[in-house]
Amino acid sequence: MFTNHRIPTRLLAILTLLAVSVPAWSASPSLGVINPRGVQRGVESELNFSGGRLADAQEILFYSPGFEVVTLEAAAGNVKVMLRVLDTCRLGQHVAQVRTASGVSEYRTFYVGPYASTAEVEPNSDFKQPQQVELNVTVTGVVQNEDVDYYSVTLKKGQRISAEVEGMRLGTALFDPYVAILNAKRFEMSSADDSPLIKQDALASTIADEDGTFIVEVRESAYGGNGNCRYRLHIGTFPRPTGVYPAGGKKGEMIDVKFLGDPTGPLARSFQLPSEDREEYGLEAAEGDAVAPSPNPFRLFDHGNAFEAEPNDEIAAATPVELPLAFNGIIEKPGDIDCFKFAAKKGQSFEVECYARRLRSGLDSVMNVYYADGRGIAGNDDSRGPDSYFRFNVPEDGEYVIRVTDHLGNGAEDFVYRVELTAPKQTVSVSIPRVARYSQYRQWIVVPRGNRFATLMTVGRGNFGGDVVLDPKDLPEGVTLHNNIMPGNMNIMPVILEAAADAPIGGGLITFHTRHADESQNISGGYNNVGDFIRGGPGQSVYWTVTVKKIPVIVADEVPFHLEIVQPNVPIVRDGTMQLKVVARKKEGWDEAISVQLPFRPPGISGSSSINIPKGQTEALYPLSANGGAQIKDWIIYVLGSSEFNGAAWVSSQPTTLAIAERYIGADIGRAAVEHGQETEIVATLTHSKEFEGTATAQLLGLPAGATTVESMEFTKDTTELIFPIKTTVETRPGTHKNIFLRIVYTENGEPVTHSRIGGTELRVDKPIPPKKDAPPKPAPVAKAPEPKKPEEPMKVRLTRLQQLRLDAKKKAEAEAGGGAEE
Amino acid sequence: MYRCQNLLRSVVTLATFCMVAPAFSQDEVPAKVQVFPQAVSLTTQLDQQSLIVQAIYANGITRDVTAAAEFALADENFARLEEHTLYPKADGQTELSISFAGQVLKVPVEVKQAGEDRPISFRLDMMPIFMKSGCNTGSCHGAARGRDGFRLSLFGFDPDGDHYRLTRELPDRRINLAIPENCLLTEKVVGDVPHTGGMRFDRNSPMYTTMLRWLKAGAPNDTGEIAKIISVDLYPHGAVLDGEGSNQQLNVLATYSDGTTRDITSLSVFMSSNGNSATVEEDGIVTAHARGEAFLMARYETYTVGARFIVLPKGLKYDDPKTPEFNYVDTFINDKLRKLRIVPSEICTDEEYLRRIYLDVAGVLPTPEEYSRFMTSTEPNRRELLVDELLGRKEFVEMWVMKWAELLQIRTTNQISYKSMLRYYNWLQERIANNVTMDVMVQELLGASGGTFANAATNYYQNETNTLKVSENIAQVFMGMRIQCTQCHNHPFDRWTMDDYYSFAAFFAQIGRKGSEDPREVIIFNSGSGEVRHLVGNRVMAPKFLGGEAPDTAGKDRRVLLANWLASPDNPYFARNLANIVWAHFMGKGIIDPVDDVRVSNPAVNEELLSELAKRFTDYDYDFKKLVRDICLSRTYQLSTQTNETNDKDTTNFSRASLRRIRAEILYDVISQVTDTKNKFQGLPLGARAVQIANGNTSTYFLTTFGRAKRGTVCSCEVKMEPNLSQALHMINGDTVNSKVQSGQLVPNLLNAGNTARQEAATAQTTAQQAQTTAVDNLAKVKLALDDAKTKLAAAEKALTDLTSATQEGDEDAAKQKQDAEQAVAAAKQVVTDQTALLATAETEKTKADELLTVAVAKVVAAAELGNADAIIEELYVRCLSRKPLEKEVAAFRTILEENKDQQQQVLEDIFWSLLNSREFIFNH
Repeated sequence: MFTNHRIPTRLLAILTLLAVSVPAWSASPSLGVINPRGVQRGVESELNFSGGRLADAQEILFYSPGFEVVTLEAAAGNVKVMLRVLDTCRLGQHVAQVRTASGVSEYRTFYVGPYASTAEVEPNSDFKQPQQVELNVTVTGVVQNEDVDYYSVTLKKGQRISAEVEGMRLGTALFDPYVAILNAKRFEMSSADDSPLIKQDALASTIADEDGTFIVEVRESAYGGNGNCRYRLHIGTFPRPTGVYPAGGKKGEMIDVKFLGDPTGPLARSFQLPSEDREEYGLEAAEGDAVAPSPNPFRLFDHGNAFEAEPNDEIAAATPVELPLAFNGIIEKPGDIDCFKFAAKKGQSFEVECYARRLRSGLDSVMNVYYADGRGIAGNDDSRGPDSYFRFNVPEDGEYVIRVTDHLGNGAEDFVYRVELTAPKQTVSVSIPRVARYSQYRQWIVVPRGNRFATLMTVGRGNFGGDVVLDPKDLPEGVTLHNNIMPGNMNIMPVILEAAADAPIGGGLITFHTRHADESQNISGGYNNVGDFIRGGPGQSVYWTVTVKKIPVIVADEVPFHLEIVQPNVPIVRDGTMQLKVVARKKEGWDEAISVQLPFRPPGISGSSSINIPKGQTEALYPLSANGGAQIKDWIIYVLGSSEFNGAAWVSSQPTTLAIAERYIGADIGRAAVEHGQETEIVATLTHSKEFEGTATAQLLGLPAGATTVESMEFTKDTTELIFPIKTTVETRPGTHKNIFLRIVYTENGEPVTHSRIGGTELRVDKPIPPKKDAPPKPAPVAKAPEPKKPEEPMKVRLTRLQQLRLDAKKKAEAEAGGGAEE
Repeated sequence: MYRCQNLLRSVVTLATFCMVAPAFSQDEVPAKVQVFPQAVSLTTQLDQQSLIVQAIYANGITRDVTAAAEFALADENFARLEEHTLYPKADGQTELSISFAGQVLKVPVEVKQAGEDRPISFRLDMMPIFMKSGCNTGSCHGAARGRDGFRLSLFGFDPDGDHYRLTRELPDRRINLAIPENCLLTEKVVGDVPHTGGMRFDRNSPMYTTMLRWLKAGAPNDTGEIAKIISVDLYPHGAVLDGEGSNQQLNVLATYSDGTTRDITSLSVFMSSNGNSATVEEDGIVTAHARGEAFLMARYETYTVGARFIVLPKGLKYDDPKTPEFNYVDTFINDKLRKLRIVPSEICTDEEYLRRIYLDVAGVLPTPEEYSRFMTSTEPNRRELLVDELLGRKEFVEMWVMKWAELLQIRTTNQISYKSMLRYYNWLQERIANNVTMDVMVQELLGASGGTFANAATNYYQNETNTLKVSENIAQVFMGMRIQCTQCHNHPFDRWTMDDYYSFAAFFAQIGRKGSEDPREVIIFNSGSGEVRHLVGNRVMAPKFLGGEAPDTAGKDRRVLLANWLASPDNPYFARNLANIVWAHFMGKGIIDPVDDVRVSNPAVNEELLSELAKRFTDYDYDFKKLVRDICLSRTYQLSTQTNETNDKDTTNFSRASLRRIRAEILYDVISQVTDTKNKFQGLPLGARAVQIANGNTSTYFLTTFGRAKRGTVCSCEVKMEPNLSQALHMINGDTVNSKVQSGQLVPNLLNAGNTARQEAATAQTTAQQAQTTAVDNLAKVKLALDDAKTKLAAAEKALTDLTSATQEGDEDAAKQKQDAEQAVAAAKQVVTDQTALLATAETEKTKADELLTVAVAKVVAAAELGNADAIIEELYVRCLSRKPLEKEVAAFRTILEENKDQQQQVLEDIFWSLLNSREFIFNH
């Protein structure tokens, strides 16, 4: 089962024909916008999915139920879909994306509304010459710069008129609309800029005070606007409540609610609640055929409701309630405070969540918990956006009071909230880190037939630790998953998927089930992704995001190359480097460049962002280096390669083990000093930490310009000291030259194990001390040792730097003393 | 250098003393004699008190008669009198008698602890020395890093720090307790060793003695409670000096919290606000110079006190012109002018008033219709009616919205989005348009909490998020005070101390800011926590109103408390400041100027007027429209800009109207108005006025050049009113004036209007002429016909008469013919009757035609007027300058028009351009 909502199309045959006509190799499509921005529920409408590389489109993937694709016509830049929206479809925002033979597009939104739409017709910017529209209609329009659009409707006295605009919610442009209902004399009867129920979008509702014409005005709230500022304006006699009380109920039960904030007063309604969780669940306020264009958000909870009973402004007058019921209340007037009293036992722990703004109430909650005698325990203002949350560990058996009020002391009849106390829950979720800023790029899994694809996945663990298993139970046919255990100390890892050569092209949206490694723990979750839809100032602030809980996993047409990593037979050591060999298998007749990257780098491993396998070649080396703290372990890595087919197609290598090992050797390199033009030695004392056969080579690197030593030295497991003779010239810059180290290469299993940076010392280059003024030339201090060298002298005891400095000083003093005596 | 100066000063002082005695005639009898101080209290043996005696003459002139007055102690056992200074002798009370010109004044003298020596105090004795001798000024050791390795706190804001640096830094060098005369402090100050500041005083001076005394006492710091100064008085409170060279000794008295007083004349720093008119020496002797006014100040510790001195030419002849007073404004202005012996200018003409009041109240020029309506009005109170009409116009509101928008810095910033800004502006506009009184508006603003969208007044706290700067801005905007200096040191020219500063800032320490769901919106709230700490010592400062009390803030929103105090009669500065801002708008200059620099050392030029305006404003419940009405209807506002010989140099006392360059927005608007052109600004419809621009950051080249405020700071100096070269060049060459003259098409339209009217009139005249000619012809014809008919009738009657005779003779034929003749006569009569009727009709028609012709001719004449160059020139003058052109101006233009007959439009447009470039247009006069 890929997805519940994938609808096979009737024109598959035509599509297949179309698919044949596209170029042999192609890449994932892109989707810019779905137009029109909304459709009517219960009817068939045309929707256009505009983007790129859409010619081989095969399917529309919907994230929610209620849609049937009647026909689908694909062209390069557009997929025209005749869509039937079922009567059962919920109103509001829906998410969809296009699957083509070669991949899948970004997801985009469109709206389902209750009314037929009509287009805006300019000129309608003059109050005196509005565009006349019917009642209960959705107007689709655009607000240009400083544009004001007027629509007129005819009403009978006592009729309700409501207007709700979808602007920012359409997720296409930073467009903050303003709506007003005016009478013919231009008197503003109801107006709004931002409405808590629908964020920056606006709604207005009032009762006609006489028979006649009424005008609905739409504009940008600060008289801005541009060609992208599209809106859907619902005008009609529908109820437009701004809140619902209670704003949650027990799953599976019938519930009586009151819709609040409608100009006709509270509307009492009953609803049968679903027995399982639903995404974006809300209650639709209807009166006859007229239904509010967007539902009022509603919590589905495991337990029933308790209600506040005024007066409960004081802790002493708190409404007694019982757990696990949810506490429901309204901060109904400025300064209102609601208190609830409940009993709890020592050792109990609760997640105390106040749901207000999350249910689109105007309340900015502040929530505190007290002992029954009024002593404070904990409190919170904004931990959940403007909503409040805290963890409450019950200190002793007894009664406690939860107090809720508005942060600014505001209040209104629709300031509805509910407080839910639940035991801390263990949760897990998985997602794909972004590869491009503000973009959904590669937030999907597209596996070419007979090939591999890989992605990084991150795991979010809520209230638990330990290994997590990625256990997608509904992968498309022929797709297998490698490397699916996320170790307890990691929260990101590579996930490699492989599609069989005969896997059918297709796939769909899956939840990507993920669970605790120990199934008895009963901790599971799935995929979660947040797409940025609108960003704007200040900075790159987010104005509209769309969260989805499914990921498209697609088997796509084959691509003409495969990638392999040649499994290294040696580890990469700390402070070492490695050249990872990547081999491309190009299909006969296809020879283009392939860009290769290494998305997963174990901690401490670094390398260039990407390498290139040029045209005409089939392999390349990926240079890697490990720092001194690289985590020693056998890691699974992969490379991901792409090539251009009017858009990139991505292919992964097989999962490959990269071992990180401790250094084989350590070195203590003594500091050295030399007068420039003179010679000295640098001595490295070796500490072997690994037995090895044969010889290894060592190079001393980092000498200053003008200083030279031997090219390299070979050593064996028995060598304890390497002495590098250093020659300097007068060109060698005086000063202390740091960063002098050893590069040591072992050969193991025929492959090099490169230690690129072992030890570290400094070489001080001095200028010779100028001869003392008036002093006769003195013999060199060393001239004090005229004895002939003993050729068979055993190895000298090497002085430490400090000893050497002391010796120098002593010699110098002696020389000067000697000179003075001569005078 | 210093030595020379000092020497010079001594010589001058000596000379002036010599001059004091003969400077006036002993014969004159003063109207009043007063002595300062009026009571003497001497405490401890080193105390002393000098006195001064001032005589006030009937004409207002004052004289320092201290030297001429006779001093006598009732009982010399208690005090000793030397010159005019009292020293203690023994505990007790006595009386000092001072007599001058027959008047005797009694001064009670009290002596306490005469045998005791007051212990030396670092704060009370040493700190004043550093101030008096200039050691702790910013240019010397008071600089932030000190000077030459030694630092003192600027103007002594940190006595403990100064004590530390004196006694703990450079031990045994800076001070030497073993040999006090032999240390840097004592040697440098008397100039014994090189000192960048030179010698400050000599070894014989009392200051040196004090310094030595302190050192000998072991250079102690003060412990325990030290008496604090509670007031400083400067005597005399004012003076009117008669001619150059007149003198007046100043006397300064400090009163301490322990009830003692101290003569601090010798330790005070004296300053004059106008050295051109009066100078003051170190010892407090004022010398008069050129005619004018000077504010003389004495500074001691954190106190600055001042007195206003007027200098008049010697023996000036002055007759009070008994200037009429339209309302209370004139009373105070004229009182002051009388003291200055200034005669105010005459009242301005109706034309001048019309233009001035339109520009000042509405920011527009009167239209030609409005001009003629006002100029032809015969209402005696037409100026009053006009003010009331203009105050009711929306342009008045828009003008003040703009001015407040500057004070509230309404503009987009990194913190304030365009939407927030627009909402903030709309909030302000709504308040002013609905005549919300200023106190309520300011309280709403400063106490605002909520989202910057939901309650746009909160944007005030987004404009500036730094606690200290918020408090500085509020002091500057709403109280007119610049307290910035006192962040780092006590105010050098005002009473504010660092304690005042940080205590005031503490009101803004608990502003909470948090994000909202909309990234552009911030929620401002009372966080209930957060404090301001003093820069010196890091003390937490409790909130205290600037110049007021410390309220109980526990559990309350500090900003709300502050807002309620600030915009209330409890705050003496609020009403004064707003009244002054309103005054400055209409008079071009504040009574305190600049309006946001209220300080002791920048006093009101007419304190009584300012107090009265503030009082009225408070009484009006802060409805500033009423205040505007008072000002605009005062005679003072209506004065001409023409000067007379007494006020030609007066620029401060409102004895004449000032010439004011029209501010940028209004100038742009009136150029657009007179040229019939429209502007487009962001967020406003085409044709909106620059005054209505909401955003400080929306501008045009013109507006920027003419100094439109960017609203980046609260300073009144943001609006540049000074004319400059680039403005002139832009007017002449830029793309505003010329292109507006061209694009407005005013001249061609006027020309065409004339031509069309002339054509129509000519056609009408021709028609009328033809009609008249026809009527005349017709009349002549009818007359002829009548004559003919009459002739025929006569002939017929004759024939009938003849036939009648013949009939009587029995002629049968004749009888028969007679019948015919009778018929003929009857017929002829009928013809005559008919023709007579026709003649009447023709005559009526001719009369009508004549009348029509007259009307047509009149129209032609009128049309000739309408479209001709003279009429257009007049229209342009009325539009631009609100007056008709002078005959000589018209004559000059006529010449040019004559010379360029085929380029009428060009020439007229040039005239238009030159009017727009005239000073008369650019200035409000």
